[in-house]
Amino acid sequence: MDTVIDIRGLQMTYGTREVLRGVDLQVARGETVALLGPNGAGKTTTVEILEGVRRRSAGEVSVLGVDPWHGDDKWRNSLGVVLQNWRDHPRWRVADLLDLIGAHYTNPWDTGELLRALGLSAQAKAVIGTLSGGQRRRFDVALGIVGRPELLFLDEPTTGFDPEARREFHDLVAELDATIMLTTHDLAEAERLADRIAVLLGGTIAVVGTADDLAREVQAQSTVLWQGGREETHDPSQLAWELHQKYDGPVPGLEIRRPTLEESYLNLVERSAA
Amino acid sequence: MNRVMRLGVRRGVAEFATLLRDRKELWGNIGATVLIFAAIVLWIGDGEIGDTGVSVGTYITAGMIAMIVFQVGLVSLPMMIAADKEEGALLRLRTVPGGFAAFLIGRGVSMLLLTAVQVVMVLVLGILLGGASLPSSIAGWLTLLWVLVLGLLAVVPLGAALGALMPSQKSAGAVLALPAMGLMMVSGVFFPVRVLPEAVQWVAQVFPLYWQGHGIRAAILPDAVLSTEIGETWRLFETAGVLGVWLVAGMVLAPRLLRRTTRGAVGTRPSFGS
Repeated sequence: MDTVIDIRGLQMTYGTREVLRGVDLQVARGETVALLGPNGAGKTTTVEILEGVRRRSAGEVSVLGVDPWHGDDKWRNSLGVVLQNWRDHPRWRVADLLDLIGAHYTNPWDTGELLRALGLSAQAKAVIGTLSGGQRRRFDVALGIVGRPELLFLDEPTTGFDPEARREFHDLVAELDATIMLTTHDLAEAERLADRIAVLLGGTIAVVGTADDLAREVQAQSTVLWQGGREETHDPSQLAWELHQKYDGPVPGLEIRRPTLEESYLNLVERSAA
Repeated sequence: MNRVMRLGVRRGVAEFATLLRDRKELWGNIGATVLIFAAIVLWIGDGEIGDTGVSVGTYITAGMIAMIVFQVGLVSLPMMIAADKEEGALLRLRTVPGGFAAFLIGRGVSMLLLTAVQVVMVLVLGILLGGASLPSSIAGWLTLLWVLVLGLLAVVPLGAALGALMPSQKSAGAVLALPAMGLMMVSGVFFPVRVLPEAVQWVAQVFPLYWQGHGIRAAILPDAVLSTEIGETWRLFETAGVLGVWLVAGMVLAPRLLRRTTRGAVGTRPSFGS
């Protein structure tokens, strides 16, 4: 496995407040990993350490084979960063800033081509401060990927998006040829975009895996419904088989509802708080 | 010229063009200064500085040029950097290869262009309305040039350091405006410093504004005005020395503070709640 991000025993303390208490996580090339966690769990701190803009207190971190705190311009050339709530360069024109930021990279996208790909051609000459929320976010993505990054950090990328803009954004991310580290509060977004989900709780990674792995970890129960009955179970297949035998054939109105990522996640957070 | 330098110059020129396109910025950075200067010259410019035969209009033309250099470096620049920090521009550029170095070079270039435009406008108005004249010798032109350049270099790094310390553009304006106003009153910008108590004269000589003004007066005013100067002589050696000390202090402080700012220790992120 070609590991792009390797985190071992990562710790971070702000004054006396211990935010990260030994985070371990590996991300393989081409993977999209979503980092979930409640507010204050340390998601942004983790991502900032990986981006090389924040110095860790302890632990080993390697991003694209380099300790991010000592990452040089060659290393940064392979990274793309889309952070939350950016309001910078409000008086610049869209194409001017994209063109200039692109010029910092060795193999940038063509400005016009990238704006077209993101549906921002009509805004090329617009002043950035006049863009709508959705346009601004797409522009942030353009700035994040203009250098054709090997590794892209997306920090709560669809906050404030309407459903249509969110769907367009998800389609766009799905087309990117990069390893992606995503932080989000939107569990449906995590489920849709991520190959694996890591849940950060109490300063450590509580669970990492697919949505199903997460459900198994928290032992969330599936709901089996049929005409005249309903039962919660850890083993819906077994119950469905027993019903099939009981009815001696097709079970009328049989429906199996697996736990959603949201249910599993909330279960995990509640369990952690308890 | 290496790549980062080229990107920095390109960025500075683009920043300046952005400023020229924005009516509010144009008024705040250039229009207001020039208009206030014109009003003062028309109001009191006909008077005479003591019995030197030099008009007040001529005297304050030199003072205003010094004030512009001082204000660009120690008021406008810190406010711009504080805004860049607040809006997330510093953090964005920290993640871009060569982004931060290009940013600093760009800010220097845009400040130089801003200063040049204002100086030319004030000089032209001073000649047309206040009876000022251009240097009459090559030595005078050279003095004007090196005092402007060294005067700007003396305050730009320090201004960048101050900007790094300010939490927001608004607070930068609030914190810096009053000291700048105070220094303007005691540094001989609008009237000879020798009319002030000796202790105040000593205080004025600690700061760059007095020396910027002294150097520019040496370049564009006749020797008849020397009777109003401390020591009754043009102290160009001391001018270079004091401005040089401010330059070195700024160069030592600025990189440390800016690095700390961009790496998050001072707080660059629009929000980092987790």
